[in-house]
Amino acid sequence: MRFRIEVVRPERCIGCYSCVYACSRHLFNTVDPSRTAVFLRTEGSLANPFMPVTCRFCKTPECAEACPKDALQPLPEGGIMLITSRCEGCETFDCITACAIRALALDKKTKFPVICDKCGDCAKYCPHNVFKYEEMK
Amino acid sequence: MNSILYVDLTERSSKVIERPDLFSKYLGGPGVASKLIIEETKPGTDPFSPESPIIFAAGYLVGIFPCMVKTVAMFKSPLTKNLGESYSGGHLASALRFAGYDVLVVHGASENPVMIKIVDDDVKVERADSLWGLSPLDVEKTLREHYEGIQSVISCGRAGERLIYYGNVIVDRFHHFGRLGLGAIFGSKKLKAISINGTGEIPLEDPLAVKEMYKKLYDEVVNSENMLKYHNLGTSANVLELNERGALPSRNFKESRFRGAERISGEAMAESSLERKISCPGCPVACIHLAELKTGFAPEHEKGRKEIFSEKVLVPYNYEPMYALGSNLLINEPSHLLRLIYRCECLGLDAMMVGTVLAWVTEAFEEGIINLDDTLGIEPRWSDVGAYLQIIDNMVDLKNPFYTKLAQGLDVASEKYGGEEFAMIVGRNGLAGYATGYGTIAGQLVGARHSHLSNSGYSIDQMALNQPIGPEQIAKFLINQEDWLYVLYSLGTCYFARKIYTKEVVCEVLKIMGIDQTPEGLMQLGKEIFHNLYKFKIQEGFELTDQKIPGRVYSMQTPHKKLDAEKMQSIIKFYIHKRESEGLQLRPEEKALKELLSFEG
Ligand code: SF4
Ligand code: SF4
Ligand code: SF4
Repeated sequence: MRFRIEVVRPERCIGCYSCVYACSRHLFNTVDPSRTAVFLRTEGSLANPFMPVTCRFCKTPECAEACPKDALQPLPEGGIMLITSRCEGCETFDCITACAIRALALDKKTKFPVICDKCGDCAKYCPHNVFKYEEMK
Repeated sequence: MNSILYVDLTERSSKVIERPDLFSKYLGGPGVASKLIIEETKPGTDPFSPESPIIFAAGYLVGIFPCMVKTVAMFKSPLTKNLGESYSGGHLASALRFAGYDVLVVHGASENPVMIKIVDDDVKVERADSLWGLSPLDVEKTLREHYEGIQSVISCGRAGERLIYYGNVIVDRFHHFGRLGLGAIFGSKKLKAISINGTGEIPLEDPLAVKEMYKKLYDEVVNSENMLKYHNLGTSANVLELNERGALPSRNFKESRFRGAERISGEAMAESSLERKISCPGCPVACIHLAELKTGFAPEHEKGRKEIFSEKVLVPYNYEPMYALGSNLLINEPSHLLRLIYRCECLGLDAMMVGTVLAWVTEAFEEGIINLDDTLGIEPRWSDVGAYLQIIDNMVDLKNPFYTKLAQGLDVASEKYGGEEFAMIVGRNGLAGYATGYGTIAGQLVGARHSHLSNSGYSIDQMALNQPIGPEQIAKFLINQEDWLYVLYSLGTCYFARKIYTKEVVCEVLKIMGIDQTPEGLMQLGKEIFHNLYKFKIQEGFELTDQKIPGRVYSMQTPHKKLDAEKMQSIIKFYIHKRESEGLQLRPEEKALKELLSFEG
């Protein structure tokens, strides 16, 4: 079964970071606001609305195209998979800058890009149903 | 972790010191800060001298469990002249911990305006001349720039720069280190702002246990009626609730019901002005209510169409400013209330204390103890928002000797002009908005920071409506509450989550962190923290037995009718007796126990 996660109601976001913390607990067994595949941003001041961001599961992902080592493999249902053996040794991280919405972060510890594994924890821990988590047909 | 970052503004230098000794025993927050404030402050230090430190301590569990969000600031208060202790939510505690620190200590002072900029282990003291004079709101806009991790921006406003004794520090636009004058300490150090960006991790020893516990607590928080109410109307629901009970202070506590309560109630605000609700990182509740205030473009610009074209700003509101700048001043127009709150936000002033001061000014003017010469021609009148805004501005500008006295608090102003009877302060801090009975007044009097949140005295007043509660029980309640709250605050727990984090839950949570504690052990720890803080107060000249309660307290109406001075005295005496039996010396040697404890035995 293939799942996907989508930010559907960003205007409801209260800025609680529950999704971000849940993601870093899930992916890395830690709490780290930069080791996560879901991001919470505002444009300048916190008086501006929050913008939660996750992978958009693009059909023709820019990140994958930008990777000089073909380490990001586009998936048929959209989005990408990381082939770690190819990623190793990268110093440019073209994938991260290629994503227009910046849904990729560099994991400073492993030096791999952090990729969403579609576990749905962000949706589970969002108190305001900002996300939609569903099986892909 | 266990790290303290020291920044010296005089030397423009910084260093990190590990203090496992402190953290293993006192966890974090006020526990650790209560030790540091004594270590770092020479007895009798002038609050405004460069030697006067500021200590920011994040709670021990911030980031790890839900609703663990608080940072305490400890300093020497210019307002009370003893312990300055103030709590804030917002991004600060998380940013500090993700940057790799549990505590930030600021020493020294600069000649020119500066700011502290921290990005993980990169710590800089930078010039901030161009920020000086800006509102904290504009500072936040200017300095919020980081895309990664969590960033916190805190700053003082003009009130702090000009050393107004109740100038506050605004945290991440909508939160505050309020009440006891931290803003003025910033001002005295020429410290305009601190920006902290944390992008690192809070390591977990036992991630699986944390996850499991997190889930349990998260579910409890989002499904609990107890916490939901803070999201729904928030504390602003108190306006109508207290009004109904006859416990909503109005006309400077002369009255306990306000005819305009419905118009400025939480319900009415939600209807007319509520725009958004936001949260602290790590808390799914979102109790911070933001109202939209339409300010209007300049009339010459819009040619009379201001109902269509207006600028708007977001103003945070909750019960306390609604009482202080609303019911207590007979303000009955939501937009007037919001304008007063917004002015305090822009100037970096404690809204509660401003309300206390304005109410006193209005009554003092009515009584004829101050006149138009003092106020520079402004007639302070109940519900006159225009006059109140001008008074606030004149005070921050220290326009004349009268306004300068106001800026130093009501003990100073009423000493010069009279009107102590209706200067609604205890321990030099303005009373909170609860004309509920004995518990609230006694609680604020004995509390280490003279706040209604020190020991929730107002809640025992509520219980006392259904069953008789004697002075001794009230004293005991205040002690137990305050001791326990110091445990919760040391963990970083939000006050609103206190019913989730019971003693048993806290023991469970600490166990996951590798700390074995019992409920009794925790209470002992809370007590020790309280004792440490009181020792600091006493060292700085505080004497509980010398504190005055304004006469108005005994003529105001409460749900318990008029309060009786003897009963109040007896609560305080029991309190002193009990605290002294714990080994905390509260009276100077020469004051006989008998004299104080005539009710004993
Ligand atoms: S689905 Fe899982 S991995 Fe993907 S962003 Fe959400 S929490 Fe992170
Ligand atoms: S959990 Fe939901 S409400 Fe909270 S920050 Fe994430 S998207 Fe926003
Ligand atoms: S209840 Fe409110 S103040 Fe407390 S942690 Fe949550 S959002 Fe912050």
